[in-house]
Amino acid sequence: MVGATEEMELQKLERDVEGGGGDVAQYLALVRKLRVRRSSTVARHGLALLNNSSARSKLGADVWTIYEQVAIAALDCHALEAAKECIGALRTKFPESMRVARLEGMWWEAKGAWQQAESLYSDLLADNPSDSALHKRRIAMAKAQGNLIGAVEATNKYLETFMADHDAWRELADMYILLQMYKQAAFCFEELILSQPTNALYHLGYAELLYTMGGLDNLRAARKYYAAAIEMSGGQNMRALFGICMCGTAITQTKGRGRDEKDSVDLLSLAGSVIVKQYKEKCPNKVDLITSILDKQLVANIA
Amino acid sequence: MAGADMAVGILGALVLAHAAYITILYRGDLKIKEEEFVRPPIQVWIEVLISLVLCLWAALRVPGTFLPILPDSKENRVVALPANLDFMIFNHRGKLFAPELEAKFTKS
Repeated sequence: MVGATEEMELQKLERDVEGGGGDVAQYLALVRKLRVRRSSTVARHGLALLNNSSARSKLGADVWTIYEQVAIAALDCHALEAAKECIGALRTKFPESMRVARLEGMWWEAKGAWQQAESLYSDLLADNPSDSALHKRRIAMAKAQGNLIGAVEATNKYLETFMADHDAWRELADMYILLQMYKQAAFCFEELILSQPTNALYHLGYAELLYTMGGLDNLRAARKYYAAAIEMSGGQNMRALFGICMCGTAITQTKGRGRDEKDSVDLLSLAGSVIVKQYKEKCPNKVDLITSILDKQLVANIA
Repeated sequence: MAGADMAVGILGALVLAHAAYITILYRGDLKIKEEEFVRPPIQVWIEVLISLVLCLWAALRVPGTFLPILPDSKENRVVALPANLDFMIFNHRGKLFAPELEAKFTKS
């Protein structure tokens, strides 16, 4: 999870690093810790750090982690030659390592040589069938080849063994959404909420899923989850605030007119006032636009 | 500021030590007078209380400010999920804009 403070720190460090100054090793460590995907920056500056032999010697034991990080980032940028050099350096240091073997598999993947990657992963899995990272690579490979159904099947099979892996549940939810199988995706999101009940973003994702599915019951549940997301993010999450507004309108439209539902209007105007307040603080020249939109919605709901 | 707080803490410890010293003296006096020890004198009580307050102050101030622990606080709220790196795939449009990267490290 990326917290608000950590995100600010990351942005500051990234500006420094891009500007030529700044502590690249510290930046790389933060990128690893927050598990964000900044491949282009990491590949360029990480490689520059590794190319400089005096800077490299100062890194101590961290240097091998950075080799791995830069290798993956370079693969992501499709800089295969640079990645090969990094993997080669790791291979000389750790000749027997599974982790380096996995990197080699990823190199084949980036090259598009699925056959080689597949046979490499199969060999490694035969030695060590409980390596979850290898299973995940095979799923990713199926996805990369456009075989979403196969990837979903493999993930389901994987989750039978590794039920507590919430990253995999998230991936499965994403793939189900791509396939427009919302009911199944909703189940994955329920698992995610169970595993991390205080994470506002899972509540938000579930709410959006329910909103997409539509229907009065789902919309009402979506409103509840949007409200939970607002509560857990301290009212700072704009997406959840807008979601409440959208839900209110959608509920009125679905239900038709003539029936009473007072609480939804209260919630709507409350969310609307917070949105307007945020706009006044951060984007004053759009306040008129947002007020007119919200007012129209509110009128449509009351009428 | 931290130095002043530290001094308060040291003062508290000194007051506590003084209270202990007074109590030992008092018990010595009692032995001479051949009386039973019931409770320490009121001065010791006051000193112990003062030292408690001073040490508490120092213990709260010297290690630094409190960090927020509530999940919905402004500093702690989750703004982004980590990229699902275990499932990352490489055949995306980034391949069209491959940067010029060259690894020049001699193998170590």
